[in-house]
Amino acid sequence: MSGNVNNGITKYTSIITEKFGEHVESISEANMNELHVTLKQLGNSPKICEFIYSKFHARLSTMVCSDERRVDGGGYTLRYVFSMGDDDNDVFIVVTAKVDPRNPSFPSIALQIPAAFLYEREIKDMFGLTPQGNPDMRPLILHEEWPSGVFPLRMDFDISTKIPRVHKEYQFIKVEGEGVCEIPVGPVHAGIIEPGHFRFSILGEHIVNLETRLFYTHKGVEKLAENRSLEEVLLLAERISGDESVANSTAYCQAVEKIAQSSLPKRAEQLRVVYAEMERIYNHLGTLAGISTDVGYAYGSARLNILKERMMRLNEAVTGSRLLFGVNRIGGVTVDVSDEVSRTVIDTVNDVQQDFEAIIALLRTKSSFIDRLRKTGVIPRKAAKELGIVGVAARCAGLDIDVRHDHPYAAYSEIRIDQQHDSPRNITKYRIEMQKRVGDALSRFEVRVEEIKDSMSIIGKVLRNLSEGEIYTSILQENLKPYRHALGYAESHRGETMHWLMLGEKKRITRYKVRTASFSNWPIIEQAVLNDIIPDFPLVNKSLDLSYSGNDL
Amino acid sequence: MIRNILKKGISAKSSRDILSSKVETIRNLLGDTSVIPPNYRGSVAFTKPIPQMITDDIASALTDVCATRALSVETTAGDAGIALDRSKCILCGRCKEIAPDLIAIGNWFSPSVKRRQEMIVTSSVQGQLTEKSVEETGIELKIRLRRTLGRSLAVREVDAGSCNGCEVEITALNNPYYDIERFGIHFVASPRHADVLLVTGPASSNMEIALQRTYKATPEPKIVIAIGACACSGGLFGDTYATTGGVDKVVPVDVYVPGCPPRPQALLSGLLLAVDKLPSKSESRISEEMKK
Ligand code: SF4
Ligand code: SF4
Repeated sequence: MSGNVNNGITKYTSIITEKFGEHVESISEANMNELHVTLKQLGNSPKICEFIYSKFHARLSTMVCSDERRVDGGGYTLRYVFSMGDDDNDVFIVVTAKVDPRNPSFPSIALQIPAAFLYEREIKDMFGLTPQGNPDMRPLILHEEWPSGVFPLRMDFDISTKIPRVHKEYQFIKVEGEGVCEIPVGPVHAGIIEPGHFRFSILGEHIVNLETRLFYTHKGVEKLAENRSLEEVLLLAERISGDESVANSTAYCQAVEKIAQSSLPKRAEQLRVVYAEMERIYNHLGTLAGISTDVGYAYGSARLNILKERMMRLNEAVTGSRLLFGVNRIGGVTVDVSDEVSRTVIDTVNDVQQDFEAIIALLRTKSSFIDRLRKTGVIPRKAAKELGIVGVAARCAGLDIDVRHDHPYAAYSEIRIDQQHDSPRNITKYRIEMQKRVGDALSRFEVRVEEIKDSMSIIGKVLRNLSEGEIYTSILQENLKPYRHALGYAESHRGETMHWLMLGEKKRITRYKVRTASFSNWPIIEQAVLNDIIPDFPLVNKSLDLSYSGNDL
Repeated sequence: MIRNILKKGISAKSSRDILSSKVETIRNLLGDTSVIPPNYRGSVAFTKPIPQMITDDIASALTDVCATRALSVETTAGDAGIALDRSKCILCGRCKEIAPDLIAIGNWFSPSVKRRQEMIVTSSVQGQLTEKSVEETGIELKIRLRRTLGRSLAVREVDAGSCNGCEVEITALNNPYYDIERFGIHFVASPRHADVLLVTGPASSNMEIALQRTYKATPEPKIVIAIGACACSGGLFGDTYATTGGVDKVVPVDVYVPGCPPRPQALLSGLLLAVDKLPSKSESRISEEMKK
């Protein structure tokens, strides 16, 4: 974070004030890159959101509801967080509106901004606010056995309440027609994977519709954070999705550090980058191995899994945890690297890289491997954009979305995250390359291969130029005042993970809203399988590499 | 030193041979502790058996710092002590930070147990982990391993709400380093083919019914292993509106494997403990014969 004036904020402030001044109660800047637009009336939110979405080409990054009935002014508060993705504007616009508790509903924006669909259903389940105009009012997080009228994220709901089941049926979308039949799959699957239900409608072998039914692993993460101390919630952040522990804990710590208005020592920021990239590498290796398994090429997957295991062992040797649990702390990191460790990391990563390139070169010569990926599980770019897809899934479809350069955090502002972003000319070239990407499983394979190499080069670069100094700082406790809030974000190996944190009394948390990349990306799988046949599904699913736990919370 | 640890168990590393058929498997998976780095947080133990050492201040600081409430104040015969419930411990290491002379974090994983009660360690009873017990565990497991080779074990994994950390480690069991199939243990696609259910996660409410059904679909004799702090006790996710507070609240559990997540070696040792519970092949064959 630099101390410079954020030009983007100035620009957006004047446009919004000019256009909607009469509807806006206040417009203010916070945490360097957040522009908060508070509306006088809830009813105007669709108009303003739609304007920001279409005029500024913004992406709905998350939608946060919080129960602020006890805070002065009362009521529930809705915050629509938009991300401005263009290269020179590191800005989030947060449109804020209050919902009167006597009339617990709000106007839906889902028909204009499809990415809002699931957020609105989530808010309906968890807070009991009805999204007027959202065509899909079925339960989402709390399954059909949950009784009506009980809303876990309301402040007056006690987390330990045991709710008796009621008997209700979930209505899947019915596809009818001659020869169409349904295949239910899950929640318990054949492999070692997380639970979720898939309802296929098929004609012959062709998938004509897929409906995903998730949230089987919902374990109340956001509710658990309520009234907990900052330190305790850090442990929870790591376990939102075990394989994304660094990304989620980085995002969380960042939110706390922003609220405290504390900046980190250089070395801490650099080490966060190192650990984040180590996480990306082992996970991408695992996904590539999984793709190889699902293609039916066991040799490739065995070799790639060897490399994944080597990286996990490296994780452990450096940090004491194979999954990098416990590396982040509020104010920095817990694990330093000595010169010796640093050299070992560089050498190990180099060795892995050589082996990796050998394996990939081999895979590329196997036409049976490549042909199986080509044109399988195609993500249409338009749908990806509308649904607000992030991460590899977006990049494989030609959308240049990456928090590491859109909204640089930790030490990313000084580090090129890839070879393509070092000069205006290369950026243009990269954009043209992007346009050629078609969103199939092969693109995802290639994007991951590139990212592994980029991550490896980042690790080398950062470790060779590590600043001297502390690895953490004590944050400014006096700034941890009630009802301050901030966004924290990071690019996990799945894409943007977006956290929003609000403090309460006694430095405890009142609201922690998490939206991982998986929540944004799950809907696209329903589109991606449409031209495929049933046996392609595992491959499409694996190539997207979505977390169930990160989605279900 | 870190280099040596990384080299251990990996065939003499030369980047040219990744595509060759060199064996990468760790031979002595359970006996060889040198593959585990010293900074690995495997288990928590008390360094002192003396309850008087614990002042009220330290006791309350410890119970406060422990997010999963694995540490609690235990009063036995008027002496205040501290109890550790390993089934809840997520090995965050924070207790050691505040009481380094009272608590040690060892790099050897805590043993799997058959009764959850066995995971509760009180400072007055002493549950110290010594070098020796590490060795012994290794040897004991090696013997059992040999016995195990006599039969194969079909395992069905069920995620009942885990964070997926445990899945990462279970998946690792199949990679060429651990290569669990060499012991006759293989993962099957349906509970109907399984001897053992490997269950992770705090048993979320939304998975409760699916877990019960999976259990019912598994043929007798069946064994359920709870994997990780979540499955053993609810772990960090506890017992809430969204979770049941542990797999044993939903189905009977035969073996508990602590850890967050348990490393592949710990998973294997849990599986081996489970094997003890199954009637051996010869026994079941005899009983079959007798029925005829
Ligand atoms: S290491 Fe275990 S006992 Fe110690 S504080 Fe963490 S969870 Fe509690
Ligand atoms: S025990 Fe730990 S790693 Fe395993 S599912 Fe629970 S939180 Fe995740």
